[in-house]
Amino acid sequence: MVHRNCDLAVGRRWPACAVMLWLLCVPAARVHAGELAPLRDRLKSSAYKIAYECYIDGNWEIFVSNADGSVPVNLTNTPKEHEHYPQVSPDGTKICLSIDQGEGRETVRSLWIMDIDGKNRRKLVDSAREPFWSPDGKLIGFLPQEYPKFNVVDYSTRGMSFFNLETGKVEPHPNSEKLHHLYNPSFARNGKWIAATVHAGMGVSHAILLIEAHGDKIINLKIPGCRPCLSPDGKQIAWGAGDYELAIAPISLDADTPAVGPWRLRIKEKEASKQKIYHIDWSPDSRFVSFSRGPDGEGDLSKAGTFHSACEIVGVYARDWNIYAVSAEGSGTLDLTKTGPADLVQITTNGSSNKEPAWFAPKPAGKE
Amino acid sequence: MRIRIEHIALLALAGWLVGCDRAPDKSKGAATIEVVSKSGVEMVYLPGGEFTMGSDQGSADEAPAHKVTISAFLIDKHEVMQEMFAKAQLPNPSHWQNPKKPVERIRWRDAKVYCNERSMLEGLKPCYNEKTPDLDCDYSANGYRLPTEAEWEYAARAGTTTAYDFGPADKLRQNAWFADNADQETHAAGQKPANRWGLHDMYGNVSEWCEDVYDPAYYKSSPAADPHGPPSPGVDVKRVMRGGNWKASAEMCRVSARQAQRTGNTDACFYTDFCGFRCVRRVSADELAQLPRANN
Repeated sequence: MVHRNCDLAVGRRWPACAVMLWLLCVPAARVHAGELAPLRDRLKSSAYKIAYECYIDGNWEIFVSNADGSVPVNLTNTPKEHEHYPQVSPDGTKICLSIDQGEGRETVRSLWIMDIDGKNRRKLVDSAREPFWSPDGKLIGFLPQEYPKFNVVDYSTRGMSFFNLETGKVEPHPNSEKLHHLYNPSFARNGKWIAATVHAGMGVSHAILLIEAHGDKIINLKIPGCRPCLSPDGKQIAWGAGDYELAIAPISLDADTPAVGPWRLRIKEKEASKQKIYHIDWSPDSRFVSFSRGPDGEGDLSKAGTFHSACEIVGVYARDWNIYAVSAEGSGTLDLTKTGPADLVQITTNGSSNKEPAWFAPKPAGKE
Repeated sequence: MRIRIEHIALLALAGWLVGCDRAPDKSKGAATIEVVSKSGVEMVYLPGGEFTMGSDQGSADEAPAHKVTISAFLIDKHEVMQEMFAKAQLPNPSHWQNPKKPVERIRWRDAKVYCNERSMLEGLKPCYNEKTPDLDCDYSANGYRLPTEAEWEYAARAGTTTAYDFGPADKLRQNAWFADNADQETHAAGQKPANRWGLHDMYGNVSEWCEDVYDPAYYKSSPAADPHGPPSPGVDVKRVMRGGNWKASAEMCRVSARQAQRTGNTDACFYTDFCGFRCVRRVSADELAQLPRANN
C-alpha cells in the first residue's frame, strides 16, 4: 500500500465547491497507488543506486548505496578535501561533483569528474558550483561563482556555462550575461530547458524559472519555493515548495511556453516538527523520489570544512540529516509525520549530514 | 613647559576637530563631523554624551526612560547600500535591486560578515569572530560592527527628547519612507532630509539590525554606560531592530520604538524585505584626524 496515511487529495487552486463535490463523490480517489509490495522491497528489486554527500570523520565525502540504503560505499576517502553535490551522468558511468579546498572566504570550490567507482578523478573548472548534466551526457552545465571571494550562499553565482566533455572547453550559455543569482539547475529530458531557482537577481525577487538551454527565453513558472528537479520521463517537475514541503506536478516541457499543471503530490512535514525536507531527486524511471530530511539548524563550526548558514546549503553541516525515499506515483498529500516504513524508506541512518541524493541506474557490467 | 606645550597641542586638536569643516551642528552641545571612510563610505562622527533612552509614553518595552552614557563613535550616514555590498564581494540578497537602495532581506549574521569585510577592506581590526555561531563582538576592536541599541537611539535622537527629532508626527511624510508614502517598496538612500546630526533614513526605508539580544524588560536593569544588551539565551533568539521601514506605521517609526526580529540564520532565503542595517565603529582622535572630511 502506498501513501496509506495520506490526507485527502486537494488540487491547490480548485474552488472550494469543486473540492467539496470531489470529497463527496470520489472518496475512493485517495492517494493510494494500488496494492503494492512495501517500498523497501520495491527499491531493493529496482537495481537503482543513490549517490549522496555525507560528513564523516571530519570530512565531506561522496557515498553510493543501493536504492534501499544497503551497502553504502565511500567513493572518495579524501581526508583533506571536501566533496559535495554528486551528479551522476545519464548513462550512470560518471559523477560530477564539487570539491572545496581552503578555508573560510579563501575557500576555492571547483568542479571535478570521476568514474562511478570514484576512480580517475580530474578537475574541470575552478570557482564554480552546482553542476548538471545534459541529457546526452556531452555537456556539464554549471554556475560560475559571483565573486572571486568565496561565499557559501547557494545563489552566489553569476552567469551559466557548459563544460564540453568532447572538446574539454568551457562555453558560456548564450544568455549568460543576463543570468544572475541562479541556483540548483537541472536539464529537461528534451534538452530544450534548464530549470533553476533565482534569488534576488534578474529583476526577480525569488522564482523558479525555465531557462532556454540554447537561447534567451526565460519563463517564470510561478510556483512558490525553490530547487526544481525535472523528471527523467520529461513530464513532471518536483521542487521544494517550502522548508517543510516538497511538491510534484505535471509540466508541459514540449510546449512552446511550458507551464506547470495542478499539483499532484505534496510531501509534507508538520512545521512544528522542525524537520526540514530538501533536495528532491527522481529515480531513473520517475517512479520514486528521494530527499534529505532533518532538523532545522545553522551548521556546526567546530567541524572542519563546514560553514555557518542554513543547514540545507552545500557545505553546511546538517546534524541528524538523512536521505529518505518515497513513491512518486500517488496523489494528494503525504504527511511524513504519519507515514510508516511501508511507504517511507530511510536510505541513510547515521544522521551525519547526508544530503543531495542523486539516483542512477548503474550500467550493466561488460557494457561500454 | 613640556606640559604646557602638550596642553596647547591638545587644545589645537580639539579646536580642529570641531572646526569650520565639520557639518553644521544643529543640536545644542554636539560636535558632529562628517567624514569619508577609507573605502569611500560617508560617515558621521558623534561625540560621546548622555541622553535619555526609551520612553514612558510608548510601548511597555520602551520603559522606563533612563539615562545612558555613550562613548563617541562613527556611524554610517546612510543605511548600507547595495553598491557597498558589491564592493565587499558579497551576494546581494535584496528584493529591490538597485545599487543606491539599501540592502534588505539581510540576515543578522550576514550583516555582521559585511562589517568584517569592510573592516578588512580598510585595514581595520574586525570586530566579529566568525568562528563563533553568533560572531561574538570584540567591542575594543576598531573595525566595523552593528550599533548597539543604545548607540542607535542616541544617533537617531540627535540630542532631542521627542518621538521624532524633526518635531510632530505630521512631518513624518517629509522626513521618512514609511507605509503612508513609500508605495510598498524601498527607496534610494538619502532622498529624505537628514536628522539633526546628518544621518539619513533613521526613521524609515528599512529597519536596522542592532547588536543586542531583544529583551522587553532590559531597560529595567541595563547598565548606564555603553549598554550592549542582555546575554544571548542561546535558543529562539531575537535581535533588536530599530527604525521604521517602508511598510511600518508612523508609530513604529518613533525613535524609541523597539522591534524584535528573528535573525534568519537558518533561512537559506530570508524573505524579510524590511531588514537592513548601518555600521558603526570606534575611532581614536588620531584616526579621526586622518579621515578626509565629507564635501557638503
